Parts: sequence; structure tokens; C-alpha cells
Amino acid sequence: MISDGDRDGTAAHPCLLFQAKREMKKRIFSRGIEHKKARWGWIFIIPSLVFFSLFSFYPILNALYTSLFKKKLLSLAPPQFIGLDNYAYLLQSPEFWNSIRATVVFTLGTFVPILVFSLLFALFIMSRKRFQKFFQMAYYSPAVLSSVVVAAIWLLMLDPRGLANQWVNFILNTPGIDHKWLANSTMVQISTMMVYFWKYVGYFTIIFLVGLGSIPNSVHEAARIDGASGRTDFWYITLPLLKPTTVLVSIMSMLQCLKTFSTQYLFTQGGAPMEPINVITLNLYHTTIRDRSIGLASAMSIILFCMMLFFTWLQFKTFKSEEVDY
Amino acid sequence: MMKKLCIFSVLFFTVMVSTALAEVELTYWTHEDPNRTEIENRYIKEFEMANPGVKVNRVTSPSGKIAEKVLTAFAANRGPDIFNMEIEQEYAYIVNRRLAPIDFKAIGYPSDKAIYDAYLPRVLDPATFEGKLYGLPLELTNWCIYVNDRIFKAVGLDPAKDYPKTWEEMVTVSEKIVIREGQIIKRRGFDFRYPYYLVSMVPMVEQLGGKLISDDGKKAIINDPAWIKFLTFMKEWGPNGKNLGSPTYTPARSLFNKDKNDIAMCESGLYQEGRIRKDNPEFYNSKEWRVIPYPVFKSAVKNVAGNYYGHYLVVNASKPKENQQMAWKLIGHMLSHPEEYLSKVGLIQPTLKLMKSDTFKAMPYANVFKEDMERGHIVYYGENSAKIQECIREAVESVMLAGASPEQALEKLKRRAQEALEEK
Repeated sequence: MISDGDRDGTAAHPCLLFQAKREMKKRIFSRGIEHKKARWGWIFIIPSLVFFSLFSFYPILNALYTSLFKKKLLSLAPPQFIGLDNYAYLLQSPEFWNSIRATVVFTLGTFVPILVFSLLFALFIMSRKRFQKFFQMAYYSPAVLSSVVVAAIWLLMLDPRGLANQWVNFILNTPGIDHKWLANSTMVQISTMMVYFWKYVGYFTIIFLVGLGSIPNSVHEAARIDGASGRTDFWYITLPLLKPTTVLVSIMSMLQCLKTFSTQYLFTQGGAPMEPINVITLNLYHTTIRDRSIGLASAMSIILFCMMLFFTWLQFKTFKSEEVDY
Repeated sequence: MMKKLCIFSVLFFTVMVSTALAEVELTYWTHEDPNRTEIENRYIKEFEMANPGVKVNRVTSPSGKIAEKVLTAFAANRGPDIFNMEIEQEYAYIVNRRLAPIDFKAIGYPSDKAIYDAYLPRVLDPATFEGKLYGLPLELTNWCIYVNDRIFKAVGLDPAKDYPKTWEEMVTVSEKIVIREGQIIKRRGFDFRYPYYLVSMVPMVEQLGGKLISDDGKKAIINDPAWIKFLTFMKEWGPNGKNLGSPTYTPARSLFNKDKNDIAMCESGLYQEGRIRKDNPEFYNSKEWRVIPYPVFKSAVKNVAGNYYGHYLVVNASKPKENQQMAWKLIGHMLSHPEEYLSKVGLIQPTLKLMKSDTFKAMPYANVFKEDMERGHIVYYGENSAKIQECIREAVESVMLAGASPEQALEKLKRRAQEALEEK
């Protein structure tokens, strides 16, 4: 705040100047309730910002930096700056393109069924008058198991002498047929999808249940009064109002599928062929642990990160139209 | 003034005493082996008693996990003082100067040369780099074929005469033994140890005249016809051929000890005897099992047995000198009991003294292992040996499981193995 006295070149009284400064500070730091709220907001998000900075942002930036170097894990020699050579190598490598293929096939083959079936299971549970809790628990229970345990259980079941062959042969009445769950290139891909579907479908069913529960009953009642059938109600009321949940589930399940690792890792340890299920994360693991090429592995992780960002953006863009309002 | 002097003296004395009593804490990472744990815990206790102030922390990990664990620890500069792994894994640590050369005095030898003189010729070569020795063998292992006599007899075969001497006979005998329910194998005659391609399968190629790496070390996968013949054999062995075994079945070695009519033959080392004794004493004492030499192809141009590999005890170079010295001293103490390692665990520590000892001669089938070791050689070890092994694995899997032709698999194997070899 500039006083007239200053403009005139005459000095203002020190007391007035002090008061003016205090006024200014007060105006800046207390711009009403909104400002106070914002300040508290910052205070609350600072811990999570610190956490994410330390455990997410820093590793991402570090991986980006490391990806520009030729760096071997055990070598004591300083890493050699090679610019984008690691990326150029990967983009020319047939093995890396096979990993991209394996990741995309797995993601499409898993997240689409998860999305569809978790919605169907949620609708099924909602339609039950009894045993709702039982079904919720039954569907959700595989999600609490660790991925390693799940893969180990399925590995036993998919053994040629295991339960999978026995059950399928019993149902199809085809005794003695080995369906080669782990031994055939196509079957091993289907097996990994099955394991993932089994583990995560319950988790996303619960999310859909929450979404379905949040749609007010009055909307359905109004539709029914207007003569809407059950199918019409689902297509024109439930599904559009469920859009935010659908977006959430599709993004979460897609990201989960892109990051898949333990099932493929344990299956290959159990004798399954590597090539059909050598997803990016598995390739990345071998590049780090077996080949000790941390620079190359970092470049892979950055490419995977970019893929995840791109697909998330694409989904947001695809689903983005009008907001849902009750 | 006097008071200050007293306080200073007490503090000084306390610091000096605590420094003198300070513990040297050694961490020893090794793979799981219950029989070895028993005797090594005792050696460690003895060592701690003989060296007050030294504390040893022995940590075990599954054998498939230890390489990953040690690598991660070294990457973070938190590696253990002592560890052991297969030499194919350890060699990269040697060439990257992450290991300390041997302290012969601490081990109890008068010189480096005396150590070389104490061991069988060439067995310390894999741990020697630029004229310095970096490790001592905890075990040197080769694999022969374990046979379940009961299953042989059940199908009318005489295990003493009809055991397979060639890989072709291995197919014929396995075909007699195998029980299938449709396409599903209920009992296998023999099956390979699939993850260990360098140890168990490269010798098969060598028998046919092939090589993994050329003599000058510049070219990978030598002699295409030999490799094609080997890959054709594996294709025939697998589920899309004669259906005698597959990597997707439970590993043969895990089933053999149980004697549950699942498998008649498996590949393993001398240590398997101790494990049979522990897992199934009835089977061990029944003498209804035997060990036979590694088979050779009928058309072999070279009589080669399975490769042998070593687990070498090594010391972390980034640890303080005092720790390194104590670590070598502990290794010296442990390795001063080769006969107990052999009799209780079945591990061969290849000193001349042990190989001539009565204990070695008294081990069942020790001569079979010894003779096979003489016609074999050390497994390929190099900075990228793990990657090359993975390339062979992919080639074998692609012909056995994915329906690829041996020619296609070989083309890919040659390209990838060469790339791995040239990678620095």
C-alpha cells in the first residue's frame, strides 16, 4: 500500500506504515473461510504428498534417469550415459515386442471379462433377497489371498494329473485327455487369465455393489411407475447411473492387469513355457535379476508406465461425456 | 580439575574396554539343506567358542531364491560377509570385483599354492581370476541317474543289466515303464531336471559333437546338426512326441525319494543319498535303488558325462578387513570337516585327501560319481551364463511344448545366445 505522502516524496508516519503493513498481511493470509479450508486441505494432503513423492514420484524419476545409462547391477564402474539407446534397443528387440504382445493379450483377455462378470455378479447379488452377505463373502474371498499363494494353488490344479484335467474330463466325459493347461502356448495364456479372473472378479464385484447401492431406489421406482421393464430399467437407468463406478473398475482392473507378474512368474517356475506369457513385468524382472541390466530394465519400466498412462487417458476420454447426476 | 580428570579417565577406559570386546558379526547366507544345517550350526558354535567376540548369523534361503536375494543385497551394498551359490551365478561377482581374494593364512594354509595342491586339479579354476583365488568349494556336484529297482522289477526288467546305457535305451526303457491314462502320464520312466540345462543337457549336445561356446569364446552354439539332433530328441521326449515326460509335471527328483510308483529314474548328485535316507529311511535301507552312469547317445562322437558344478564359499570384498579375515577363518574351519560333509550330507569337497579316504570309498555308488566326474567337465560359467541357460531353456520348451521345429528353435537360440555372449 503506497501512501500519498510517499508519492509526494514525503515520508509517512512510522506508526501508519506499520499499520498498513499489518493490514496487507491480514488480507493476504485471511481471505475468508475458503482460504482457511484450503490451508487445512494442504495440511491434510502433505503426508500423502510426502509419501507419494518418496515412494512413487522419486522412483519414477530415478527410473527415467537410470534408463538413459548403461548400468549393470554388480559393476563398480560408473554408469555410462547412452541417451535413448536403451529405448532404441528395446523397440528393435523381438523379445520386447513379444512381451508387449503378451501383456496386451493378457490385459484384454482378463480385464474385459472381469468388467462384464463383476457387474453381472453384482447384479445377481443385488437381486438376491437372502444370502447376500454369503455371496459377497464367497466372491470376495480369493481377493484376500496373496497372488503367490493363488498361483501356487492353481499350479497344483493345472498339473497334468491335477484337478483341472479331472474336472474338465468328468464334465465333458473325455477321460484321459490332457488339456495341457501349462504345456500349450494358447492354453498357458488362458490359464493365467483364468487365475487372475478368479482372484479379482470378487473384488470388483464388491465395488460394483457399492455403486449399485448408491443409486437411489426412487429413480427405479419412478421408472417402474412409468412402465419400464426390468431390462429397460437396467439399460436406461442402472447402467448410465453406474458410469462412474464402471470407469473406476475398468481403469483399476486394466492397470492391475498391465502390472501382472506373480502368476506368470510362478507358472514359468513350474515348467510352463516362458515365451507365451513373458509379460513386460516378467521380462523386466529377468532383465534385472538374471541379466543385471538395470538401465535396460528401467527403460522397460518407463515404457510400461507410459502404456499405463496412455490407456488410462484413453479410458477417461472414452467414458467422458455428460456428468452423472441424480 | 581432579573430578574432570577422573570422568575423562573412566570414559576413556570404558571406550577402550568396549572396543576390545566389540563383536565381529558375520552374516553367512546359504541355500537350504537340512542335513547341512545340522552340522554347520555345530561348526559355527565351535567357531564362536574358539573366537570370543565373533558372532555368526547363518541365514538359509531356498536354492531357487538365493541368487536373487544376494544380487539385491549387493546392489544395495548390503551383501552378507559369506555366501555360496552355483559358480555360474557367482562368477559375475568375481569379475566385477565384488569378492575378496582368499586369505590363505586365515584358512590355515601356508600359501595359495598349498591350497591348489590340496584340491583335485582344475577344480579351483572357476574361482580363479587374474591369478587370484576367490573361493573354495563347499560342494562339487555331478549328476548321475538314480534308479528305483522295484519299478524295474515290476515291469520285468533286471535293474542290474537292463538299465539304460544310451539315451536311445533311456527312451525304450521309459516306454516300458510309463503308465498313461489316455494322454496323462501316471508313472514316468525317467525325466530330466528341466531348469538346469547347462548341467544336464549341454553334455548331450557335446556327445553328438556340438558345443555351447567355441574354443576362442567368441561364438555361441557350435555345430548345427548336433544341436538339431538334440532338439529333435527333446521334441520326441515331450508331450507332442512319445509323451514320456514334460517340464510341467512335478520334478522327477522330488518324487523319487517317496517311492510311490511315480517315477523310476531321476538325475541327481551324491547328496540325494542323504536326502533319501532322511525322507524315506525304509526305501534307503531296502537297497532297492541304485545309481547308474550318465547315458551316452549311440551315435556319440564324444564320451561325455553330465557337467559338474560347484558351490563356492566366497567373502564380500566390501566388508571391513577384520570381517573378511574372520570370514575366511570360519570358512577354513567349516571346510576342515570334508568327511563329515560327505557322510552326513553327501557333499563332495574335492580335496585329494577326501577322494582317497575310506569315507569316500564307503559311500554307496561313490565310484559311479567319481568315474562320471572324470569323463565330464565343469559347467559353462561366464558373466552371462544364466542368460545363455535361459536361451537353451526357451529352445527346448519351444520344441517340446510350443510345437516349434528344431530348426526354428535353433535359429532363435543361435541369435539370442550370441547376443548374450557379446553383451558386456
